[in-house]
Amino acid sequence: MSDAILAAGGGRRGGAARLLAPAAAALALLALPWFTNDYVQYIVNLILAYGLVAVGFNIVLGYLGQLAFANTAFFGVGAYAFGILMERYGLPFWAALLPAALAGGLTGLLIGLPALRLKGYYLAVVTLSLGELLRWGYIHGDTLTHGSSGLAIPPSTLEFLPLPEDAQRYYVLLIVGGLVLWATVNLLRSRVGRAWVAIRENEFAAASLGFSPALYKVAAFGWSGFVVGMGGALFALLIGRVAPESFDLHQLLLQFAIVMVGGLGSVVGSLLGALLLTAAPEVLRNFPGAEEIVFSLLLIGVLLFMPHGLSGMLRRVFPRLRERLYRSRP
Amino acid sequence: MFGQLVLSGISQGSIYALVALGMTVVYRATGVVNFAHGEFFMMGAFVLYVLVQLAGLPFYAAAPLAVILMFLCGKAVERALVRPIALAPHIIIAMMTVAVSYLLRGVARVFWGREVLPMPQVFDLPPLQLGEVILTAQDLVIVAVTLALMAGFFLVFHRSRFGRIAQAASANPRGAALIGIDVDAISGNMWGIAAALGAVAGILVAPITLLYPDMGGQVLIRAFAAMTLGGFGNLGGAIAGSLTVGVLEQLAGTYVSTAMIDIFAFIVIIVALILRPNGFFGKAEVARV
Repeated sequence: MSDAILAAGGGRRGGAARLLAPAAAALALLALPWFTNDYVQYIVNLILAYGLVAVGFNIVLGYLGQLAFANTAFFGVGAYAFGILMERYGLPFWAALLPAALAGGLTGLLIGLPALRLKGYYLAVVTLSLGELLRWGYIHGDTLTHGSSGLAIPPSTLEFLPLPEDAQRYYVLLIVGGLVLWATVNLLRSRVGRAWVAIRENEFAAASLGFSPALYKVAAFGWSGFVVGMGGALFALLIGRVAPESFDLHQLLLQFAIVMVGGLGSVVGSLLGALLLTAAPEVLRNFPGAEEIVFSLLLIGVLLFMPHGLSGMLRRVFPRLRERLYRSRP
Repeated sequence: MFGQLVLSGISQGSIYALVALGMTVVYRATGVVNFAHGEFFMMGAFVLYVLVQLAGLPFYAAAPLAVILMFLCGKAVERALVRPIALAPHIIIAMMTVAVSYLLRGVARVFWGREVLPMPQVFDLPPLQLGEVILTAQDLVIVAVTLALMAGFFLVFHRSRFGRIAQAASANPRGAALIGIDVDAISGNMWGIAAALGAVAGILVAPITLLYPDMGGQVLIRAFAAMTLGGFGNLGGAIAGSLTVGVLEQLAGTYVSTAMIDIFAFIVIIVALILRPNGFFGKAEVARV
């Protein structure tokens, strides 16, 4: 999925290389399930889901430049909407994905409205509170969410595909995630994405150019909610269970670290961050405190020494990887 | 019943006020909202626990020592992690304090992962009985210490030379540096003082609550609620907000539902900020373009 961006960001290259490199990458991605076992495939799937979540979080944090921690709210709403639609209303998983992402998007719009009046710390505190309030809702919303024990996602295999479950899910993630990512990259390269960056750099100047900060901010929250909500639904599909503890402050730390390590305002960075960090909690979970210490030290290192994250470093070494905010030349 | 609830609310609210005071000190001096302040509070309690239970010091020696250690810890955090990015946008510094908060919590979890530690009572005095209302010695100490510290800081900020210098350093760091104010030193000392205040709060509550690595987050969010009510950086507002949150939380927890205690602060924050984005006593921010 990142090949499209890499290729498009690469500028003018030889015609053959321009076609061959993405084709090879696409082939490698498609063939991947033949080279993995179940566990590795599960981790790869998680990486894809978190890549999507990180891109969505980055829209508000990196492109719009607002310190909003609403991503755990979007993530949780997406996952719970997906779980409830499947478990309670018997929808097949492929039909529940889009409504779940839309629920995330709606949450984004709703959170975006009060966010218009708030800036900086106030926004951070309110969005943090909303996330925790929702988590309280999951715990106490017994009939819908089954409280702290969480709800189990019904088995969801595609009968017609003669593939192991994890490989099936991999292709689902590849298609769904790829589509959402493609839409996001295009959105970022359109007038909308440029308006978000303009608001980040100087809200007053952006307004003076005719961009309504209110409209574009709400749009950013809404789209971020949609993308992260979709990530949450896919996460629920992979985990097979939706429980309140999946949406606590550890989740926030993981997603925050992925975005920051990858680089604020960079789609490639978010995908890289997900690639590097998604598997870390699997290893660190057995040692109390290790998850927090490792991620916080990573965050501190990024903030002190490489404010643009990995993508910033990559851009310095390979200037071709610069992600433009305008469309490629025809 | 009602009187008892109000009194324990005031006692709880005093703790929130102390935590809010520590955050206000850093906010006034450096313009930074310190998301790691809850962890200073938690660390204060744990340092005291180590000194009393493991090193065997008497409380009256351990408590000042813990406050001094936390002062140094606050200064160290400022020097090592905040000062290098002092010129970065505030959003970056806020992210740094979020990272510090997780780091300190992680360190505490290494030692006390899943344990919940009880701390022995310090003030072994019989509780005061006033009619139907019972006041424990611990409650009285908490309220008294809070009042004394609040009054002290009010004087420092509004009446003393040091307070005015600190305000100048925050309002215009470059200008303050030009007229010979050591802005870095002030920032470091303010972080130290804030951490020490957090430790005082932690030490005061340690005997009446249990100690666990996540205890800071619980208090921080309530202090935030108090500060959003009172307006960030406003000392009087922080006290009024803290007492309001403390009392209302007790009342809501008893008369509405016990589950309300967990989320009352969040509701206060959301409702207050949507109605009054600059706090109830805060002034509207004027931005110069």
